[in-house]
Amino acid sequence: MKIKSLSENKTTKRNLVTYGIVIISFVIVQIFNGTGSLSSLLSGLLVPICYYVILAVSLNITVGVLGELSLGQAGFMCIGAYASSVFSVCTMETITNAWIRFPLAILVGGICAAVFGILIGIPVLRLKGDYLAIVTLAFGEIIKNFCAAAYVGYDETGVHFSLASTADLGLSDSGTVLINGPIGISGTPKDSNFIVGFVLVMITLFITLNLINSRTGRAVMSIRDNRIAAESVGINITKYKLIAFTISAFLAGIAGVLYSHNLSVLAAKSNNFGYNVSIMILVFVVLGGIGNVRGSVIAAVILTALPEVLRDLAEYRMLIYAIILIILMICNSSPKFKVYREKYSIKRFLSRKKEQKAKGVQ
Amino acid sequence: MALLEATNLGITFGGLKAVDNFNIKIEKGQLYGLIGPNGAGKTTVFNLLTGVYKPTEGKATLDGTVITGKRTIDINKSGIARTFQNIRLFKDMSVLDNVKVGLHNQIKYSTAAGILKLPSYFKKEKEMTQKAMSLLEVFDLQNEADFSASNLPYGKQRKLEIARALATNPKLLLLDEPAAGMNPNETAELMDTIRFVRDKFDMTILLIEHDMRLVSGICEELTVLNFGQVLCQGKTSEVLNNPEVITAYLGE
Repeated sequence: MKIKSLSENKTTKRNLVTYGIVIISFVIVQIFNGTGSLSSLLSGLLVPICYYVILAVSLNITVGVLGELSLGQAGFMCIGAYASSVFSVCTMETITNAWIRFPLAILVGGICAAVFGILIGIPVLRLKGDYLAIVTLAFGEIIKNFCAAAYVGYDETGVHFSLASTADLGLSDSGTVLINGPIGISGTPKDSNFIVGFVLVMITLFITLNLINSRTGRAVMSIRDNRIAAESVGINITKYKLIAFTISAFLAGIAGVLYSHNLSVLAAKSNNFGYNVSIMILVFVVLGGIGNVRGSVIAAVILTALPEVLRDLAEYRMLIYAIILIILMICNSSPKFKVYREKYSIKRFLSRKKEQKAKGVQ
Repeated sequence: MALLEATNLGITFGGLKAVDNFNIKIEKGQLYGLIGPNGAGKTTVFNLLTGVYKPTEGKATLDGTVITGKRTIDINKSGIARTFQNIRLFKDMSVLDNVKVGLHNQIKYSTAAGILKLPSYFKKEKEMTQKAMSLLEVFDLQNEADFSASNLPYGKQRKLEIARALATNPKLLLLDEPAAGMNPNETAELMDTIRFVRDKFDMTILLIEHDMRLVSGICEELTVLNFGQVLCQGKTSEVLNNPEVITAYLGE
C-alpha cells in the first residue's frame, strides 16, 4: 500500500488522528509512569520506543514516499549519535544548561546526518531498486565500522586523529581522548528522557506529514509513480530524490541523538548501528504498511516492546517473537483478513451506532 | 515565423536510422497531424522534440530558441508538454494532485514553507487548487477530483493526461495517439475536446494518430512518416489523396 493522496479535508482529519493517537498514548504512559505501575524494564524501554518510531517514520519517507529501498538508515543514526555526543562532551563545561545544550546537540546530530545524506545520496541515488538497497547497506556498514575504528582526541595543539590506537594520537599530558576506538565515547550527558522523545516524535510526524501534503511531497511521489511522466511535466528528478533522502537522513540523525544521550557510553557495534538494525527498521515500515505513517508508528512501538514483554519466556523469547512477526505479516497482507478488519473496524462500529441513532430519531 | 521548426532532425540507434532528415514547420494555433505505419518513427520524433532522446543530427527551434540538446525538464519549461501512447499517470495520487504536479513550475513555494506550513503555503496551495479545478472542469473531471487516478475509466485517464500537460502552461502540446482504445463516441467527444483546447488556450497541437476519422476531421496539415523518413507533407486533403501515402499507409 502506498500513500494515497486524498482530498484536503480527509488528509487533515487523518493526520489529526495520527497526532491524537501519539498524544493520547503519551499521556496514558505518563500517568502509569507517575503512579509507578510500569515495570523498570518497560520504563527503560520508553526512550528506545521513541527513537525507533522516529527511525521507522524517517525510513518511510525513502521507502514509501520516494519509493526507493534504503538499508542504510542505521548508518545515518550512527552519524547523528556520534556527532551529537562529541558536541555534548565538548560543550558540557561551557554550556551547563541542558535545556540549551540538548536542542543544539539535536540540531548538530540532525544536520551532520543530513550532510552525509547529501554526500551519499548524490552518487547512490543514480541507482534503483535492489542495487540502491545494497549500496546503502554498504555505506551504513562503512560508517559504523569507521566510527568503531576511529580514535579522536584534542589537546592545546588541536584535534588529533588516528585509526590505530590512543597512543598513536600523540596527545600531550593535558590532552583528552574524545572517541576511543571500539570503546567509543564516554561521558555523554544523559539528556534524553521520555518527554523529549515524545516531542521529537511529534516533530518528526509534523515534518513528515506536512512534507507529504506539500508541493515538494507531490513532486517526490510523482517520481515514485512515474519517473518519465514526472520529467515530462518539468520535475527535477535528482533534486527531489535528494531532498527526500536528506530529510530522511536528518530525522534518522535525530533518532541517533536521542539514542546516544540515553546511554553513558556510546560505541558503534553491530547490535546498535549494524545492518540488522537497518533491516529491523525496514520490518517496522513493511509491517506498518509501506507509505503508511501511522502504521510505521504502531509497528515500531509493538515490535520494540514485544521482546521485552516476552522476557519471561527466556530462551524461547526470540522464537515467539519470530512467530508473532510471521503471523502479523501474513495477516497484514492477506485479503481475507483485510475484509475481516474492515467489517469489524472501529470506524464502522461508530458509523453503525450513528445510523442506529438516526433511525431511533425517525 | 513558425512556432516549431525542425530541420534535418535525425537519430541513429547503432546502425539503424530511426528518424532521418525530418523537417517540419508548425505555425502558431495550428492543429497538425503526424501519421504513418507502425514503427515509422512517430513516437521517436516526439522523444526527440521533448529531449528524451538527443538527436544525432539536425536541430529544432521553439519560438526561435534552439531546444535540441536541452534536458526534458528544460524543454518542458520552455513550452512543450506531451502525453504518452501508453498512459503515464501518477496512479497512486488523486486526480487533483496529478494536475497539481503539472502546476509544479507555475505556482511555487519552498520546501521549508511546505513543511512549516507558512502563510505562503496556504496562499499558493489555494491558488493551485483553484487553477487545477478549473482545468479539471474543462475536461469534465471535477467530480472525480478526489479519485485515485488509477480508478478512472480509460477515456478519462486520457483526458487527465491532457489536463496535466496543459497545467505546465505549454506553447505546444504533443498528443501521442490520444484516441487509442477509444470507441467511436469517445473519439468524437475527444475531437471536440481537442478543438476546444486549441481555441480556449490558444494552443498549438501536434498529434500522432491512427484513427483516420479523427485525423481528417481536425488536422489542418499532415506529415506522413515511413521508415523514419518524411513521405509526404501538406494540407490534409491533399496528403490523404496522395497515391504514395495510399500505398504505404492507407491501403487501396
